[in-house]
Amino acid sequence: MTDAALGALRRLPRPDADRLALIGLTALVVLPLIAFVVVPLFGIFRMSFATPDGFGLGNYVRYIQSPKFSKVVGNSLSVSLTTTFITVVLAYAFAFAMRRTAMPGKRIFGAVALLPLFAPSLVQALGIVFLFGRNGVVNRTFDLGIDIYGFWGIVISDVFYSFPHAYLILSAALAIADARLYESAKVLGATSARMFRDITLPSTKYGLLSATFVVFTIVITDFGNPMVIGGDFNVLATEIYNQVSGQGNFEMGAVIGMILLVPAGLAVVVEKWIMRRHQATITERSTPLQVERERLRDAAGFVCAVTICGLIVLIVAIVFIASFVTLWPYNLHLSLRHYRFEVQNGLAPLWTSIWVSLLAAIIGVVATVTAACVVRRLDNLAGQVLYFVSILPAAVPGMVLGLGYILAFNDPKSPLEVLYGTFLILAICNVYHYHAQGFLIATTSINQISRVFDEASTSLGGGFLRTLRSVTLPIISASIISVGVFFFVRSMVTLSAVIFLVTPMTQVAAVSVLLLDDAGNQNQAAAFSVCIMLVVAAALVLFQATLRLTGHKDVALMR
Amino acid sequence: MFLSLSSITKRFGAVAALNDVSLAIGEGEFVCFLGPSGCGKTTLLRVIAGLETPDAGEVMLNGKSLVDVPARLRNFGIVFQSYSLFPNMSVARNIGYGLECRKWRREAIAPRVAEVLDLVHLSDQADKYPHQLSGGQQQRVALARALAPGPAVLLLDEPLSALDAKVREDLRGEIKDLQTALGITTIMVTHDQHEAMEMADRIVVMNAGVIEQVGSAGDLYDRPVNRFVAEFIGRMNLLPMSSAGLDADASGTADDPFIGVRPEHIELVDPGAPHPGALLGRIEKCIFLGSFTRITLALGERALVLELRGRRTDLQAGGTLAVRIPVHAIHRLRDAAP
Repeated sequence: MTDAALGALRRLPRPDADRLALIGLTALVVLPLIAFVVVPLFGIFRMSFATPDGFGLGNYVRYIQSPKFSKVVGNSLSVSLTTTFITVVLAYAFAFAMRRTAMPGKRIFGAVALLPLFAPSLVQALGIVFLFGRNGVVNRTFDLGIDIYGFWGIVISDVFYSFPHAYLILSAALAIADARLYESAKVLGATSARMFRDITLPSTKYGLLSATFVVFTIVITDFGNPMVIGGDFNVLATEIYNQVSGQGNFEMGAVIGMILLVPAGLAVVVEKWIMRRHQATITERSTPLQVERERLRDAAGFVCAVTICGLIVLIVAIVFIASFVTLWPYNLHLSLRHYRFEVQNGLAPLWTSIWVSLLAAIIGVVATVTAACVVRRLDNLAGQVLYFVSILPAAVPGMVLGLGYILAFNDPKSPLEVLYGTFLILAICNVYHYHAQGFLIATTSINQISRVFDEASTSLGGGFLRTLRSVTLPIISASIISVGVFFFVRSMVTLSAVIFLVTPMTQVAAVSVLLLDDAGNQNQAAAFSVCIMLVVAAALVLFQATLRLTGHKDVALMR
Repeated sequence: MFLSLSSITKRFGAVAALNDVSLAIGEGEFVCFLGPSGCGKTTLLRVIAGLETPDAGEVMLNGKSLVDVPARLRNFGIVFQSYSLFPNMSVARNIGYGLECRKWRREAIAPRVAEVLDLVHLSDQADKYPHQLSGGQQQRVALARALAPGPAVLLLDEPLSALDAKVREDLRGEIKDLQTALGITTIMVTHDQHEAMEMADRIVVMNAGVIEQVGSAGDLYDRPVNRFVAEFIGRMNLLPMSSAGLDADASGTADDPFIGVRPEHIELVDPGAPHPGALLGRIEKCIFLGSFTRITLALGERALVLELRGRRTDLQAGGTLAVRIPVHAIHRLRDAAP
């Protein structure tokens, strides 16, 4: 036995191979994070201090002293706070109806609520314009003279835009509940209102806080909706674009980017901090809550869900209809003329988007899944640092990252300048824009795998790479596909980061929608949006079919 | 010695999970680490396996230090508590995994897998997946997987504790028979004294990061060195040294402040015929437990538990009983580890 054992010992690979593999993979994760997140951010930071007389605070002083500054910052904050309040209240009510009532139609409501995730960010604004704009159906029919452009237009569009994000967080918070608490309260004589105040609300306060900060970040960094429906109402995100694209003033764009980074970054940091302190209140011994029928409450939930989902569908439907009629809202005869795309490179940007999104899906999967595996394996200070850097992009607004990419890669001195103007740089930009979310999906599913599997593999002689290849990755295969789909979908619909990076040769579909709308061609913008949504829908159907064929269920696609 | 541990210390933050633990294990021996939860037994097993790095101390195999040998190169087989079979692999692939890692040829893997599957009587389950097996079957596959590469030492981390009582009993015998047949050095962690007593050649009783006593089941039961071992293995009545009514020569020293008496060693005396050193008590509880009856006797403020063979319908709570403690049944016990 002993001789055989020693013989087996000799047949095993050398221990160095394992270390090398870990170091190699760590480098594969860290170097791109430095090149594509840290360097561009540093570029913006530097640029914001660059003045004709050398480095200094001149740009900041000039911008802060201009009357525009307080106005734009005030606009951004007021829009973001108002939208956040409305969204979180609506999303809480909707999530409550979904999780804590016995209303019918939950499957459909749940799917409809996610619809805005799968549309370009400016579709909400486009739909609102078709409804309430100067030439919208409401003003044309009733001649009410509603002026939607500005504060309320942005708020309404962004409520719909950010709604699914808040809903997903709150739904998860409301999904877990310990029935024993409610039963005890009932036996002690508590009314429904008291139980809501004393049990439900406290147990979901972390979800509420998290949703608040996430929505705030999304709204303050949103670019598409304010561009379409903001009119003269400027916010920080659109101001960066105006400074850089309109006036070629990179220094000022960088200053505003740095200013935008503060609230967005703070919100993300606070949200992560809150979630870390959030101890699981549900234990293995908790009894899951079974929702019983209660006519009044269920009816109220149903009305709430129908109203919210109805409005979400209405906005998307209006965009669909407007794209298929001769001239909205004057001539409602069906027509496919807006789908001829006789301008703007025809349909080429759509194909560009698809290729870029496929590239982003592949790169995104490799980057984030590798990062998640390495972080789990490191399990020390280095792992914590890597975790932080991996979720750092969540704090960086798309406009800021995009501007950073121009500064970093449209520079003959940069060794990566060859990337500029390629599909690849667009894909990479999307990957690192959404790196945190993809990384968290991968990390969550890897952390669900018991460490016993790692240890069993190790004790049987499996190295780090073999354990990944034979055990870890096969177990999370469904999540890996969902990370890919996540990057594909985000890349199809995102606008803010890539707006600075597209060239006439690499124009993507979401940018086309914006340019068409800007040129006053709303109907073609709608048609292009519909094309994007159809591609996304096809990808999702394909994804679901793949999962069903391979026998996977309950895979989270978005978080 | 085949496997020796010297002065192993392992801390988790401020807690010393293992404090200067030394132990020698002979080739082919079956050793159990027994103790309450949190005593450090699992940590010690993981240190031997290489899954934890000790803060101090050394593990030696055949005179060779394992300090620089990572877990995957130690060639130790481990069976975990439960659910350690790779869910994405069939039974046969799970068992062949260690052989794949050792770069065995495909033609050599299949017969070896068949061989160990036969050892655990699961030849007909080769193509199933872990979730299609019962808990007992899963643990037998885990055992086969650990044995397949011909490990130098087999480590079992509470392998039976997640199973139903009946399955547990069957598997105890099966594992012990297999171990005897293969002659493989085996260490098992358990908190179940009956499991340890049934399976182990030697039992290592652990508490709070140190070894309290090492010995066969008989040694530990008949000659516990201290209060912890006495109370952990079997039942023991503990009385302070100054207890009245004991035979004079049973009195001890300050080193051994307690005396212990096993419940079955206490004898009844006829209350009609006075006996020197007899104790008269009131019966508090009388519980019938099948092959014996357990009686709790109140002696003033103290309680004494005794176990009498068979069913004692003549004794009832509230009645009185006279007993004596024979000198040869008295254990002198220290408070802590020697």
